[in-house]
Amino acid sequence: MKKPRLVIGVIGADCHSVGNKIMERVFTEFGFYVTNLGVMVSQDEYIDAAIETGADAIIVSSIYGHGDTDCLGMRDRCIERGVGDILLYIGGNLVVGKYDFKEVEPKFKAMGFDFVMPPHQELEPLCDQIVRDVKTHNDKLALEVD
Amino acid sequence: MRTLSIDIGSTWTKAALFSIDGHELTLINKGLVPTNTENLAESFFHCVENILQEDVGSLLSRSELSVNYSSSAKGGLGVAALGLVPCITLESAKVTAHSAGAKIVHYYSYKLTHHDIRELECSPPDILLFTGGTDGGEEKYGLANARMLGESRLDCAIIFAGNRDIQDGVSQLLRDKDLTIVENVLPDLDTPNPGPARKAICNAFLKRIVKGKGLDKIVDVIGKEPLPTPYTVYELVNYISQSSEAWREFMLFDMGGATTDVYTTCNNILTPDTFKHGLDEPFLKRTVEGDLGMRISSVTAGESTRALVESIFSNQPTEKAAFYDYLRRVNAQPEHTPVNATEVHFDTLLAGLNVGYASERHAGTKRTVATVAGNRELQTGRDLTSVRKIIGTGGWLSRAQSFDIHRWIKYRDIDEQGKKILLPTEFEYYRDGQGLIPLLANVGREFPQHAAITSIKNLTDNRGRKYGNQ
Repeated sequence: MKKPRLVIGVIGADCHSVGNKIMERVFTEFGFYVTNLGVMVSQDEYIDAAIETGADAIIVSSIYGHGDTDCLGMRDRCIERGVGDILLYIGGNLVVGKYDFKEVEPKFKAMGFDFVMPPHQELEPLCDQIVRDVKTHNDKLALEVD
Repeated sequence: MRTLSIDIGSTWTKAALFSIDGHELTLINKGLVPTNTENLAESFFHCVENILQEDVGSLLSRSELSVNYSSSAKGGLGVAALGLVPCITLESAKVTAHSAGAKIVHYYSYKLTHHDIRELECSPPDILLFTGGTDGGEEKYGLANARMLGESRLDCAIIFAGNRDIQDGVSQLLRDKDLTIVENVLPDLDTPNPGPARKAICNAFLKRIVKGKGLDKIVDVIGKEPLPTPYTVYELVNYISQSSEAWREFMLFDMGGATTDVYTTCNNILTPDTFKHGLDEPFLKRTVEGDLGMRISSVTAGESTRALVESIFSNQPTEKAAFYDYLRRVNAQPEHTPVNATEVHFDTLLAGLNVGYASERHAGTKRTVATVAGNRELQTGRDLTSVRKIIGTGGWLSRAQSFDIHRWIKYRDIDEQGKKILLPTEFEYYRDGQGLIPLLANVGREFPQHAAITSIKNLTDNRGRKYGNQ
């Protein structure tokens, strides 16, 4: 199987870069092909990069609490730009204030994210999950084409 | 030892003879003749004889002379750039084509339509630079475009420098075309790779553009092929930047009748709290503005710069009409030179507009974003504020002794989208008074050090003083 190709970055006016660097390192070492856009990334920058690199998934980070406004309409934008099928992941401190993750998760799922991660997410299990998700997703797309 | 340099332009064939003394070149003689566009060899050898007063063939056979020459290729090597995402591979394709001395005549992103194909067929470029997708990246668009091109009647050289994974597919679909496949201009989003495509453009220039019109005869006598003029200037800019610490970063304007070319060498160091977005830009960058020029492009220049023209002539409708009238007149008569003070003023104004707009399009921008950690700057393109030296060359700029370029470069701090324009504000301006830079660029092919040092030595400031003698 071809290496899964990921586009990662921190969305919006968020300049928290440490987690982003750790993610790049862990993902690369795990064997993914990673395109890291760094901090303060706009929705279109993720999508542009995903188109050029033929990415399987976009992994959005948001630490400063405004993830819900920054991510509004992201799936719709992917659809408009011709990559509506792409896997979308998001994780971090996604909203301002202390909310139960059970309340946060549906909000982002409704926005079209395939997988929503709480503030504390182990990266190794995530890697395994990405491999599984990409495989299932590609198999499903292949079936649809047939 | 002497070295002869000839530049075959669309209007004039120019030549200069230098003697090589130590690390410098001394100009012995120079001259020009009108280019015979039907037989380039005729005007070429006429010009050479005028300067040498001897037979060039026998001098060459006795190794007493070296000769280098360039050709502007019908006023510019026209490249159509095809990319996938406009700000990614299309941008890479444009930067690559410009660095090879070309100008962009058409550009397309995503999928080609039948309308695009018709446009290409009706006004074909010299070369189509076909890019899209990083290596291992997107494939569908590239293959769809290759299919469209394969079915078209387009008959220009095609250089494929896109996703490596579809090379086989593309060569199959374009098997009936003049196709060259080279490494991807953008194999990975962080690593631009313009070199191979740049070389392929230059080779295609030699193979297709040089044929006929008597150039083959020149090649027979001189024993080497020409290079595109802007390509050699690009290389010279590189040599100048390497020749001394004082000239490591600089900017060069080459403004002609048809285009305004801007070259910069700049390290692009990010200031604190600034984040760079978009493609990595090269240390040396060339841009070509095909709509900004002094004669052939005077009318288009007037249109493109209308916003600034309006503000300059606010409350002076008659003068404004006279200015636009002048632009149309010199467009119809490219050989026209100003005959009175008003026309001199209009030419200066046109030059200023060209410089102002060309430099703004060349430079990067940044905008401030309020974040929870305070204000941060998002920068795209290169920050040229640290550049301290600017050179002007090309007919008008070479001659303009009192052109106040400071008024035009960075004529505004912020563009219409509210972004800061990253152009130099404090700089010294020098003129290539004798118009030697394009000719020295040829010499640079063989004697890069000599050409760089001599280029700098021949510059003058606005008071007519030579560089280094102020």
